[in-house]
Amino acid sequence: MAEVKLAGMGEIVWTRSTGALGCIGLGSCVGTLLFDPRTQAAALAHVMLPEAHDHDALTMPGKYAVTAVPALLRLLDTPQTLASRLKAILIGGGELFQNRSQALRIGERNVETLHRILSELRIGVVFEHTRGSSGRSFEFDVATGLIRVRAVGATPVEQDLSTALGIFRRAA
Amino acid sequence: MTTTLNELRTDALREIGNIGLGGAVTALSDLTGVLFTLEAPQVLTMDTGALPSLCCVAPESLVVGTVSRVNGDWAGEAAFLFPWESARVLWQILVQTAPEGLEDLSELYQSVINEVSNIMLGNYLQGISQMTGFTMHMEPPAFAADMAMAVLSSILVEALYGQRELLAIETAFKTPEHEFRGYFLYLPETGNLEKLFGVLGI
Repeated sequence: MAEVKLAGMGEIVWTRSTGALGCIGLGSCVGTLLFDPRTQAAALAHVMLPEAHDHDALTMPGKYAVTAVPALLRLLDTPQTLASRLKAILIGGGELFQNRSQALRIGERNVETLHRILSELRIGVVFEHTRGSSGRSFEFDVATGLIRVRAVGATPVEQDLSTALGIFRRAA
Repeated sequence: MTTTLNELRTDALREIGNIGLGGAVTALSDLTGVLFTLEAPQVLTMDTGALPSLCCVAPESLVVGTVSRVNGDWAGEAAFLFPWESARVLWQILVQTAPEGLEDLSELYQSVINEVSNIMLGNYLQGISQMTGFTMHMEPPAFAADMAMAVLSSILVEALYGQRELLAIETAFKTPEHEFRGYFLYLPETGNLEKLFGVLGI
């Protein structure tokens, strides 16, 4: 796989046509990737919490689901009215700690909130590996549309998303 | 709202880590018959939301850990983390057997780690209580075994959500007899730091 640009917690990374994007060690966080078939550009946010209740929503929009999606749209130069041409990939949102006395269900609420925002913008989710009780890492190769998701103690999941994303096939 | 930390206060937090975990590590030594020692505690601030490189372990390596909610005067979240091979050392000592991999991680092994966390945290809180007069009680631990980064980030995100101080007191402990490292993190709730500094008069 091509060199991977990693999004750390709350960060946003992007690329066009070449390279790969990914996140390492997603627990309750959700790697939220939007792909624009028209420009072959992809942008990825490492979302930590559903709603912004801190002062850093402006400086770190990738941290919160409600600010991350608009920030990804701006990065992909796509107005909200045309957002439906984008495709989404969601990875993460697990609950690692079992039998919590005060379950905050942050992973679950991250995933729910992102689904609600994406469906309001009519952005289709073409691939999702979310919820459950395990942590995950993933890489997405923008040129080939290949996604690879790793979890501890499980066989890595690999899928070719080039057709679902409308990735141009270039002659070798 | 975040408390301002100067050098004196940072030193005091380190000392709290030392005193509290000193008792906890003694309890672990009593339990296992193996001498454990402390490394100097570190006070880590997490003001940017970026995860500090807590624990000198690879981000995707397997760790075993617990989190326990602490209520009372020094409320917060306490976490113990053990790299997989270190957890296996504890299991070998305490139940004379250890799982090969995640698929063998039965409830017995989980309860051993939960019990170790309970005993250590109980002693940690007792140490703090003796020094400050604070009253605290802890809830039963929750268990996880997963990638180090995923476990740490889940703990941190909950702390962010709970409006806790973006600060952690990290203490590592080890033993010369085995290849072993354990990590203890305390994430105090907002307002508790001021209370602590007030009691200590700094």
